[in-house]
Amino acid sequence: MTPAVRRCDVVVIGGGSAGLAAALASARTGAATLLVERHGYLGGMGTAALVHSFCGLYLLRTEPGAELANPGIPAQIEERMIEATGIGPRRYGRVDVLPQHPVEFARIADNLCAAEKTLDLSFHSELTGVERDADGWRLSIATRGGIQTTDAATLVDASGDAVVAGFLSIETVMMQANLLQRPAYVFGVCRPRSAEDHDPLLTAGRIVEGVRSGEVPDEALGLVFRASGRPWEMFGTIDLPGPADGGYDPLDPSCLGELERVGRAVATAAVRWLARKDPSWADAYISHWPLRAGVRESRRWRGEATLTGDDLLQSRRFDDETALATWPMEFRENTRGPRLRFPHTDDPCGIPAGCLKPAGMDRLFVAGRCISTDHDAQASIRVMGTCFATGEAAGTMAAAASGGSA
Amino acid sequence: MSSSKKDSPSAIELIDWLNGEGLLELDWDFPEDGDLFAAGLDSMAVMQVVVAVEDEYGVELVPEDLSKEQLATPEALAALIRSKRQ
Ligand SMILES: Cc1cc2nc3c(=O)[nH]c(=O)nc-3n(C[C@H](O)[C@H](O)[C@H](O)COP(=O)(O)OP(=O)(O)OC[C@H]3O[C@@H](n4cnc5c(N)ncnc54)[C@H](O)[C@@H]3O)c2cc1C
Repeated sequence: MTPAVRRCDVVVIGGGSAGLAAALASARTGAATLLVERHGYLGGMGTAALVHSFCGLYLLRTEPGAELANPGIPAQIEERMIEATGIGPRRYGRVDVLPQHPVEFARIADNLCAAEKTLDLSFHSELTGVERDADGWRLSIATRGGIQTTDAATLVDASGDAVVAGFLSIETVMMQANLLQRPAYVFGVCRPRSAEDHDPLLTAGRIVEGVRSGEVPDEALGLVFRASGRPWEMFGTIDLPGPADGGYDPLDPSCLGELERVGRAVATAAVRWLARKDPSWADAYISHWPLRAGVRESRRWRGEATLTGDDLLQSRRFDDETALATWPMEFRENTRGPRLRFPHTDDPCGIPAGCLKPAGMDRLFVAGRCISTDHDAQASIRVMGTCFATGEAAGTMAAAASGGSA
Repeated sequence: MSSSKKDSPSAIELIDWLNGEGLLELDWDFPEDGDLFAAGLDSMAVMQVVVAVEDEYGVELVPEDLSKEQLATPEALAALIRSKRQ
């Protein structure tokens, strides 16, 4: 007996910030939409890797006050997050950042999706194969129950790692290992003190002391703590250099697994040291690990257009632009903290539709951190505020291209 | 103190050194009393600076040295390094 093949107008691969927005936008046009996510919640890096602020939601500004860059889904998520956490945007120089909580993000994503009648979610489902046919795409999706076959008129790759290009054996772009943005390991900490009772400089000095003593590994020099906004809770973020041989490969499971084991070992040593040496850290403990290490940059699509770092510096605008990028290019090619490159003026840069359309392919769109850009431009457009916007644009285009046949 | 270590830096030398080591990106005309925190000195950069100061100037900064005031400007940081060498 051959199992029934499911048919959809639009299938979105990956439910991170880009895939969530793509699926919502597609479903809101009435297209029969399926969102395929291999984890048990949506949010991608913003939940599974515990990345805890939304950047790129707002325009660059010298004047006080945050102003949204992209209306629509980015604004709807912003509003719900502020309502959930009670925390508004924070100003640092010319940028505004919205602290976000991964627990709230997953729940907000559930609620937004539940409101869409033409949207189906398939969790614990991993795309493992793609074939082109006359009517669109035939997808193989691995689930606990076995491989399921699904047909889609159009497809959105919001996997973060351009997995669809990998399955189709299409030429993609990935920087050489030493030039990739460094990965990080983010973990939750319970520190039974008020957030005000934390001096980040003193903590930094204590960590150096621990490294000097030999009890804390060197990688702890890439560790920072931030209050989560909830009583007693902090997030620790360790920027990791990757394997000592320089062979960092974000697509290699053994490399990712090693990062995760190193992340846990470094975090454990650092928090134990602080708890022992610093009264303001007494009784602190690691409360949770992330589901996965955080990857900032991996494989990208080659699109009909490619956004460049120069476009961002010049705040270039395009006739067919679909979203605005506002975050300064944030480079983290080493573990010495971010290096920011701002555009010449505070004006935003357009993201052309061609960056969301793989070159020479129809019925296929891409959103999020793996759209078609160079390395420099990716350092801006990878942030979640911009991923919501490219996701919304890709979902809308995919629904229009599907013809609503299902 | 090992003789290979550099003399205490002036504020201007410190600005050049912070730039040269890639610890911070300061404009060529960054003032001696300019705000290092506004220029990107966060707690992660502070750890890198402490390690690099030890290598370069042979001075071991301890947690209690790392107050906002003592790190606020190139002048203040140069004075801190000088005071620790005496
Ligand atoms: C340490 C770190 C700090 C960061 N800091 C910030 C910050 O402060 N602010 C900010 O805005 N951004 C930040 N970013 C960047 C941002 O988090 C990511 O670039 C963004 O989340 C990417 O969104 P995405 O939807 O494109 O991809 P992802 O979030 O990676 O989501 C991809 C989703 O696809 C799923 N998936 C992949 N392959 C398959 C498959 N074959 N089948 C089914 N599902 C699949 C994954 O499980 C995942 O849920 C940071 C990133 C890191 C790593």
